[in-house]
Amino acid sequence: MKLEIKNLTKSFGEKEVLKDISFTAESGKALGLLGRNGAGKTTTIRIIMGVFYQNSGKILIDGKPFDRNKLRIGYLPEERGLYPKQKIGEQLIYFGMLRGLSKKQATENTVRWLERMGMSEYKDKRLETLSKGNQQKIQLAVTLLCDPQLVILDEPFSGLDPVNAMLLKDVIKEVIAEGAMVILSSHQMNYIEEFCDNIAILNSGKIVINGNINDIKRSYPRNIIEIGSVQFDEIAPFVIRSLNEISTDVETDEKDSVVRVKMKRPDDKMKLMEGLLNEKFDIDSFKVREPSLNDIFVEYTEGAI
Amino acid sequence: MKQLLKILKFEYMSCVKNKAFIIITVTLMVAVILIVFIPSLFSNNSSTDGEEGEKSIIAVNSSVYDEKTIQKEFSALYPDSDIKITNEDTNALKEKVNSGEYSFAVKIDSELSFTYVTVNNSFFSMNNESLVDIMKNMYSMKSLENYGIESGEASKILNPEVTFNTVTTGTDQTKNFLPVYLLMCISFMAVATYGQLVAQSVVTEKNTRAMELLITCAKPSNLIFGKVIGSGLAGLTQLTLIALTGIAVVSSGLGGNIIGFMSQYFNLPIQTIVYFLVFFIIGYFMLAFLLGAFSSFASKSEDLNTLTTPVLLVLSAVYMALIFMMQSEDMGGSILNILSYLPISGPLAMFVRVSLTDVAVWEICVSLIVQIIEVYLLGMLAAAIYRIGVLMYGNPPKLPEIIKLLKIQRETDKAKTTE
Repeated sequence: MKLEIKNLTKSFGEKEVLKDISFTAESGKALGLLGRNGAGKTTTIRIIMGVFYQNSGKILIDGKPFDRNKLRIGYLPEERGLYPKQKIGEQLIYFGMLRGLSKKQATENTVRWLERMGMSEYKDKRLETLSKGNQQKIQLAVTLLCDPQLVILDEPFSGLDPVNAMLLKDVIKEVIAEGAMVILSSHQMNYIEEFCDNIAILNSGKIVINGNINDIKRSYPRNIIEIGSVQFDEIAPFVIRSLNEISTDVETDEKDSVVRVKMKRPDDKMKLMEGLLNEKFDIDSFKVREPSLNDIFVEYTEGAI
Repeated sequence: MKQLLKILKFEYMSCVKNKAFIIITVTLMVAVILIVFIPSLFSNNSSTDGEEGEKSIIAVNSSVYDEKTIQKEFSALYPDSDIKITNEDTNALKEKVNSGEYSFAVKIDSELSFTYVTVNNSFFSMNNESLVDIMKNMYSMKSLENYGIESGEASKILNPEVTFNTVTTGTDQTKNFLPVYLLMCISFMAVATYGQLVAQSVVTEKNTRAMELLITCAKPSNLIFGKVIGSGLAGLTQLTLIALTGIAVVSSGLGGNIIGFMSQYFNLPIQTIVYFLVFFIIGYFMLAFLLGAFSSFASKSEDLNTLTTPVLLVLSAVYMALIFMMQSEDMGGSILNILSYLPISGPLAMFVRVSLTDVAVWEICVSLIVQIIEVYLLGMLAAAIYRIGVLMYGNPPKLPEIIKLLKIQRETDKAKTTE
């Protein structure tokens, strides 16, 4: 299944919030929707969910207009909220039924998801009696209760402690493995990098870069070599002194015991390796440095790395 | 439809399981029991207009009027007391009244003066006035006898019995006025209370941020219709429980005097009661849709008053106007007729018309159809307003802004449909 967002535009009054944005998401894969605050991530998600209507553009599922009633959708909104005074089990069943499950299915899924979240004992408790982190877990259970084909998570990691973040990570991985299409927005690049195959970075309502993370990383010049060695303080002067015809810049990272060599041409990396081997340096690692997602994000949302 | 039923059931259960709702219901049921039961309790214990004692004794010392006249006049006004004619002086009477032997005592000093001896002269006691009436009566009888008229004749002259017949060509308003007035009060309070319940529920969902999840799971029209019908059914459950409690207490025989009072003043024809229920339900829907819609603009509970007060003010104005019309000779004439077809005022005004005036069946049918259409249109308008309001935070918008937003929404929906 393929979800296509095609040329969406949205204005609130005079302010144009989304400017002709397009991206694609696929089943069994996660798409990271990235952008700074106010970039238009939540507006995009809200349009997909039918909270707002776009001014122009299309949303297609497998080439056909997107009908929200024909797809099981799990949605974790940025503004979390359930009924604080209601029993947890009752509201999970209610939301499950609103998403189209039968009462029996909703009840079974409630038991299953509460167990998965380690919250079974709270089934008959009121939501307001739980800590904020646990309320967040219940909210996630509500999102996934209908066994969704499309999962939309708006800032899912905000407010979670490391243990709960780990649980959420595992759950998202499971959902992807089961074949769901996941779209998630987050500021935490390490999480996005961990399970998103594709990203779309929004800046001031425009998609500035969009595609497979690895392809994006490979599109950067591969001319910086990272050499890991305990002899890093000897390697750096050697490269400057003896290999200056192939390198332009040498940088030492004492903390990580790494020397970064910027090559004139990416193809010269074998010459660098030969030079180091001839001098019999004790080398732990030798690799091309790829930009991190964080580097890419900052570059596209702020200007340059 | 399925989704609407799910929402309706959830809203209904949320209402009836709510602690405050349960406490109010139980409190009102207890209040009904007390209202029915307490008057009979008092009437059993005090047969002499507030004076204490079971079969009380009233002592009368008189050298002016004869024993037969005193017995006759006092027994007529104090039928549940023993009247004791005595020669005891004021001090002895004081002592016995103080000890509780006499409920109170009267020493007739002359034809037109007496001393009333009582322990406490209660603000609510009518004894002073009653004794003055007895004295006036005895004096008049004695005076007429002095002119040679026998006591029987004198009594007939002083207390003539007048009989009359009333022929009404329309509806006898004197019969229905009090119950209709009371039912209007009840429906006004109930409609406003249950309407506020809907408004509160909308604000709670918005405050707790459950709204964004809800409107992505369900149609806004289903959400507001489910909420209004669910809360309304909860209200009807509460009213039914209270009414059943009243009926149970009255039919158990504990009601005492209140049964007679009810059958005298609340003997409404069954069709009037049916009309009341129908117009009450229609009135509730109209108000609840408006309150639900406007409350969707409230970001916090404090905003609720600002948004719901205009609607409640209109309802209050209608209620007051109808009360004045009920007291006028022509029942407001054509104004009442117009009011009975308008939203908000329609249900109350039509109930007044069918209960207190002659209304043709076709007029009732037309009014019902018009009001049902109005309820549907208000429901649709409420759903449209609700759809905009629930996602708006910050200061509540003014009416022109709401109208502008509705227009924008309509254009967007149109564009969406044609796409």
